[in-house]
Amino acid sequence: MTSYRLKLVAAAAAAVLAVGACTGSSATTAPGSAASAAASAAASAAASAAASAAPSTTAACTSGTVTVWSWFVQSTMQKAVDAYQKAHPGVTVKYTYYNYDPEYLTALKAAAASNTLPDVIGLQPGSLTQQYRDQLAPIQDYAAKAWGSDWQKLLPAVDLQQMQLGNPAGDTNFYMLPHESQVLAIWYNKDIFAKYNLSVPTTLDQLIAVSKTLRANSVIPMYQGAAGSWQNENVFLQLANQVKSGVTDAVQQGKADWTDPAIVTAMKTWGDLFTDGVFQDGALGAQGYPTGAQLFASGKVGMVTFGSWWLQEAFLAPPQPDQVNDLKAFDYFLWPSIAPGTQPGAVVGGIDVGYGMTKNGAGNPCAFDFLASLLHGEAGQAALADVNNLPAFLDVKLPAGVGPNVTSLYNKFMAQLPSAVNQRWYSADVQQAVDDALQAVAAGQKTAEQAVADVAAAQKKVLGQ
Amino acid sequence: MSSMTKVASLARPARRPPEPRLLGRRRTHYLYILPTTLLFVAFVLYPIVSVVAMSFFSKDSASAGTGPLANYQAVLTDPIFSTAVVNMAIWAVLTITIQMVVGGSLAYLIETHTRRTKAVLRTAFLIPMVTSVSVVAIVWQQFYAPMYGPLENLLKSIGVSMQGISLLGQPSTAIYAVIAVNIWMYTGFSMLLYIVGLHRISSEILDAAKADGATGLRLARHILIPMLAPTTKSLLLLGIIGTLQTFALVFLMTNGGPNHASDVFGTQIFRSAFRLNHMGYASALSSITLAIAFALTLLQLRVLHTGLSPTGGGNA
Repeated sequence: MTSYRLKLVAAAAAAVLAVGACTGSSATTAPGSAASAAASAAASAAASAAASAAPSTTAACTSGTVTVWSWFVQSTMQKAVDAYQKAHPGVTVKYTYYNYDPEYLTALKAAAASNTLPDVIGLQPGSLTQQYRDQLAPIQDYAAKAWGSDWQKLLPAVDLQQMQLGNPAGDTNFYMLPHESQVLAIWYNKDIFAKYNLSVPTTLDQLIAVSKTLRANSVIPMYQGAAGSWQNENVFLQLANQVKSGVTDAVQQGKADWTDPAIVTAMKTWGDLFTDGVFQDGALGAQGYPTGAQLFASGKVGMVTFGSWWLQEAFLAPPQPDQVNDLKAFDYFLWPSIAPGTQPGAVVGGIDVGYGMTKNGAGNPCAFDFLASLLHGEAGQAALADVNNLPAFLDVKLPAGVGPNVTSLYNKFMAQLPSAVNQRWYSADVQQAVDDALQAVAAGQKTAEQAVADVAAAQKKVLGQ
Repeated sequence: MSSMTKVASLARPARRPPEPRLLGRRRTHYLYILPTTLLFVAFVLYPIVSVVAMSFFSKDSASAGTGPLANYQAVLTDPIFSTAVVNMAIWAVLTITIQMVVGGSLAYLIETHTRRTKAVLRTAFLIPMVTSVSVVAIVWQQFYAPMYGPLENLLKSIGVSMQGISLLGQPSTAIYAVIAVNIWMYTGFSMLLYIVGLHRISSEILDAAKADGATGLRLARHILIPMLAPTTKSLLLLGIIGTLQTFALVFLMTNGGPNHASDVFGTQIFRSAFRLNHMGYASALSSITLAIAFALTLLQLRVLHTGLSPTGGGNA
């Protein structure tokens, strides 16, 4: 290679390296210590105070395009989009559906890095919202303008708590608004229970006995998709908050320790659910969706630890098993009492899916207009008949035409929602530690005490202790 | 001008104009490869450099300190990394050898012992490879399911009971259960390459060997295996690179669980980057993976004198 060419190649390589180094050094860093967290909180508070002044645009939405990304059920969202576009003929809403994990998570990350996020993005409260907080516009002033200064009273307390979950100290902004809420529970097949003369269990011993009967009759007792993490977390949260309400919030805020006896009891009970035969054999290799949902709907499973979102099963496209019509063969109960002195429960839940308006969308007057309509307007109302889950806004009513059994179950869930305990995590690192602990106990690799000690260590690191 | 000078000036060829300094006379040649080079730089080289830079400069809660090597220290001291290394070593050894042996055997049997069913059999063994990995993962999860899966029923029919054990749900067996699926899925690829390799062997050599009484294992050992060495080396090279790229099947079947027991580099990188937002850690692990791939590839190219042709061409 001639010297000219060598120099050219060397220059190109140096240029690429220089550009790459600039990119690397400008990568955002997350504060890992209390001191840096405080500094960043002060900066966030100052920035958010400035940003939360009146909405950046007061122009009315008359025409334009709104881009929305989410994992929300496409057919249901299309009903909302169609209703909005009918009411706003000059506006086009472009909804892009992604499968949540991994497609949506990777698409969001790539778009954030290249500053090409759409106007509105689907979010879950806690770590997912906090990951993109810097790209989100504070939204409380938009909400106040749309629904009045006391708009927060329209939402359940657990939703309000979750909307600010993980905000740095001093940052009182809301970066997301909820679309749907949920309550966790144990669904059961009433027909199977009636066939084997089983009653709804109210204690752990009764639950084990019911499971034994179901096994003896070749029915999967309680289907748990323990290969995935979400279902395990849901069970654990209900058990822990049954023993001591609010304990999982307290430990994440540093007000209690993960070695609290309530947490240890919950973790022990979690492990016993595998060894006592409540969960099906091989649960650690199973997935809740699609397998668990399909087996439950087709009458092969006695119980499953889902939540209020399972109401949507009654409205999925045919063919469906007959017992799924109006969910007439199904009902739910809260977790049986697992320790002396505890009552069945706890009611755990909160936001299922919410949305944030990105800074890109803040300059689009139609972005929040669509969002407001989706969450608490004609767009959201049009999609309610699918009963995808519980609405976040408490004054939203089910439309007529929904079957009586689904309506009854819906009303039961809505009555419990205001008292729900938070099910979301403040930190992704702690959530991962809990997931690892739950699987380790389920696999018999660790005792409950060892597992909670690992989570405690992860929590301390997050809190900078 | 003197006559001598005139003659001398006539004999000396005219000086050519100076060549353009930039790239010489082959400037147009470089222009042809410029688009591909730009795409390579934009979509391959730049991301690699960017990730390597992030591995040194991006710090998060997973970083072990604030120095430039903090992310590498975090990766190399993480017990999950050690688990992933062991898993990937097991993956490479089992998948590459079994796929070679089974694929090669299938190629020989199909090419030499079938005629009318040759095309059907070739296609049948290639179908798993072209099936969506999502479909494969879901189907095999059902196959492995202990209470109702076909595997349990199959084993029961021969008097073996799984006793409720889930191969995917046991930390000691999860990675092997996924490896079995991977072998099932990609043995057809090895078979395909060996078929091509077999067709490159001169029929005269085979005829002469058979005339000398070499059949069966003797033929395989003394003729086929040595002459298929380039294909074998190529499969080894591709197999190791493929192992380092493993992600989809593990992610879909076990998500790296239970409790990280079946984690590989791909699942660890994905979890760190997209769930935990530990971009520095994920970048460091990505860079380590790249370095391992680079080193192993160089080693193979040198030690085995492996050609890069998938048909086994190049230096044998």
